[in-house]
Amino acid sequence: MARRAARRIGLILFVLWGAATLAFAGLRLVPGDPARIIAGGVQASASPAVLDAIRAEYGLDRPWPVQYLIFMGRLLRADLGASYQLNRPVAEVIGEQLGATLALAAGAVAGGLALAVALAVLTAGRPRARALARALEFCAISTPAFWTGILLLAVFSFHLHWFPVLGEGGVRALVLPWLTLTLSIAGVLAQVTREGMERALDQPFTLTARSRGAGENRVRLRHALRHAALPLLTLSGWVLGELLGGVVVVEAVFARQGLGQVIVTAVAGRDFPVVTGVVVLAALTFALISAALDVLYRAVDPRLRRAAT
Amino acid sequence: MSPTENPVTSAEAPARPRRRLRSRRPLITAAALAVVVAAALAVTVATRDDPGPAARGAAASGPVAGGTLRFAVAGTQVTLDPAVAATAVTGLIDRNIFDSLVAQTAPDRFEPWLASKWTVSEDGRTYTFTLREGVTFHDGTPLTAEAVKATLDHVVDPKTKSAYAASLIAPYEKATVLGDLEVEVRLKRPFTPFLQALSVPYLGIQSPAALAKPAGQYVPVGTGPFAYVSWEKDRRVTLKRNPAYSSPPAGAAHRGPAHLDGLVFEFVSEDATRYGALTSGQVDGIAGVPPVNAKALQSLPGFTLTAQETPGLNYNLYFNQTRGPLRDVRVRRALSASVNVPQLIQNIYFGHYKAARNPLSATTAAYDASAEQALASYDLDEAERLLDEAGWNETGPDGYRVKDGKTLTLTWPYWAEGNKEQRDVLAEGIQAQAKLAGIKIERPTVDTGTFVEKHLIGGGYDLVDVSFARPTPDVLRFAFASGNTYAKAGGNVALVDSEEIDRWVEEAAATSDPETARRDYANVQREVLEQAYVLPLYTPVQLTGFSTAVRDVAFDAQTYPVFHGAWLKRA
Repeated sequence: MARRAARRIGLILFVLWGAATLAFAGLRLVPGDPARIIAGGVQASASPAVLDAIRAEYGLDRPWPVQYLIFMGRLLRADLGASYQLNRPVAEVIGEQLGATLALAAGAVAGGLALAVALAVLTAGRPRARALARALEFCAISTPAFWTGILLLAVFSFHLHWFPVLGEGGVRALVLPWLTLTLSIAGVLAQVTREGMERALDQPFTLTARSRGAGENRVRLRHALRHAALPLLTLSGWVLGELLGGVVVVEAVFARQGLGQVIVTAVAGRDFPVVTGVVVLAALTFALISAALDVLYRAVDPRLRRAAT
Repeated sequence: MSPTENPVTSAEAPARPRRRLRSRRPLITAAALAVVVAAALAVTVATRDDPGPAARGAAASGPVAGGTLRFAVAGTQVTLDPAVAATAVTGLIDRNIFDSLVAQTAPDRFEPWLASKWTVSEDGRTYTFTLREGVTFHDGTPLTAEAVKATLDHVVDPKTKSAYAASLIAPYEKATVLGDLEVEVRLKRPFTPFLQALSVPYLGIQSPAALAKPAGQYVPVGTGPFAYVSWEKDRRVTLKRNPAYSSPPAGAAHRGPAHLDGLVFEFVSEDATRYGALTSGQVDGIAGVPPVNAKALQSLPGFTLTAQETPGLNYNLYFNQTRGPLRDVRVRRALSASVNVPQLIQNIYFGHYKAARNPLSATTAAYDASAEQALASYDLDEAERLLDEAGWNETGPDGYRVKDGKTLTLTWPYWAEGNKEQRDVLAEGIQAQAKLAGIKIERPTVDTGTFVEKHLIGGGYDLVDVSFARPTPDVLRFAFASGNTYAKAGGNVALVDSEEIDRWVEEAAATSDPETARRDYANVQREVLEQAYVLPLYTPVQLTGFSTAVRDVAFDAQTYPVFHGAWLKRA
């Protein structure tokens, strides 16, 4: 048990190191003089003296290996540094925006899961309902979140005035962004869940359950759904990736603040510390979720528990 | 919303008979269809039948105090310090927080603002400003000569990392406090555009107490009609009325404190969202009305659209005269003559933008309408003749002209991130028309880094397009002086290297005689068209939309909205 935990922690650290290194390398491989980009990009008219000052301040004039060692040294001390553009500690910048993004992402995951499971339970093994559900799911999958968001806004905000696009935030302002992300997640999850359920419904144990007098609801919810849960859990990694991309788009369309906007601005402005901070945070989230999944697998599937001991 | 064909045809259902639900299925299908259709319908009418206050034409009555005006802007910003920022949106917001030393009240007219008067020395290098009395910053600090010195020193300090403001006052040497309200600014060389530079929000006068704080704790503190309250990053900037405001610029229609209690700038970068927020009444005004929506907004009751032609350099196509075929003036003039600019602009922008025939916008001081006679305007026969004369008289199998076995190919890098106003479509039109004359234009797509390093600095391009708004003819020096290449933080992307042009723009920037300056600038406009260093395309227009409840918003020389005298008419 302790050994497994130690291995897990080791793995998480390795993932973090890898992500940070990739972020470091990626940002330096992008063509262009970072000092000039930091100074305001293409339109900037910063003088060479200012560019030199920027290079010296951020150590951009040193050789790469030195920059890398300094970068890693800071990271080891959990010091993410200060943003080039905002002149504030990265942890503070991220912390300030994290809440908005978490609220968005958590709602979208909950909504997506609920919708997917409901659709799957209702339509698995029912050809016509399934055909209709699949048609809608394909629609949801193949429509870019950007377009879904604009449509939802046009109907429910600009026309019906039900939900604000701006305003004081709160739950009302979150409904449409949630829905946008929910739809794109639920489309895929519903298909996977339904397939898992249909496979389970074809298994002999379903027949056994039915023959014992279990009703349709009981068969679906208690027996089949549990079997379909494994592939669903496996897809959580995909969901996280989808969320990271979706959040950027949704925050732009709905004029929300959040990490998506932070990372876009930071990448465009070569704000190395902020980009690294967000990448490390994303990697950490990913690693923690996959660790949690390991535990969940065992909870869902007793066979795994036995195999492990 | 069409990719539905897959699911419908892929009904390879394993015919598993199940009870229940059968009778309800058509109903579900119909209901679902109804929802989809209703949604689609709603979208198509969403922009048309907004009730709106329909207050147009209401009886004129005096301004009403109170209320908060919400104005949505595109883009985002990384700082509110006007001395640091290069983003237009920062200038727009800061204009309401900061007053400037002088106000630009006409293309070539400067009047008192925070400086009640000023004198310029004989040699044009020393400006002495006398400040208005009794003005205080939002933090209570009185406006003194010390504040002016602190502001200017802050701008040019390399630690500030100024992306724009410092370049405006490049000849700045030092400021000396002569008295409480008297400050002397010394320049390294005579520089007439200095007053214009001082009039922009990027050089707004800041409270020395606020500037003394570390950069991380920066808050904008000026003397303007509105004071800073908060900045929620990527979301909004909130300002409140400055009740003690007493220093409007000369010529302002309204003299006292602002009518509005508050002013909120919402960041909404997505065009469709911003436009929808206006038409659904969630904001009172928006900057950057998408040109495709301009017509719709004009005809929408309850809304007004204002169009401001931006002064400065038009949206122009510059010909790199140091490289390849474009070294030959005949090829440059041929390229210029092969493009029917007015037709393209009319077809793409439906009359919202005006085709340009001069590198300068007509709203800029020293704009010379007669210079356009030197422009090689559309004449395909002339283009063909010039190309023949220049030796490009063979035609390759694909219709492009060939000389010594080489095809007449020009590279025009496409920087997608900077694309706006359908400029990519315009470029396709130019490509197609140049092809008729046998000129091949290639448009490799490049990222920001490559665009800057390889193309703008490295000079690896034949054509490059850019606009630059600034209400002074000194932009001609920025764009055509040999020392102002992009690598040296200038805008000479045609890489013009002409002693004559250099002499004209330097003399115009140094002289105190307006007539000399006017003549010099006219010469430059004529010469760059004669030499076909530049092909003027269109004059950019700022399209601003307001609800009719918003009254008396003015626009300054830079086309920024001024909210000092604005008020909200309650329905």
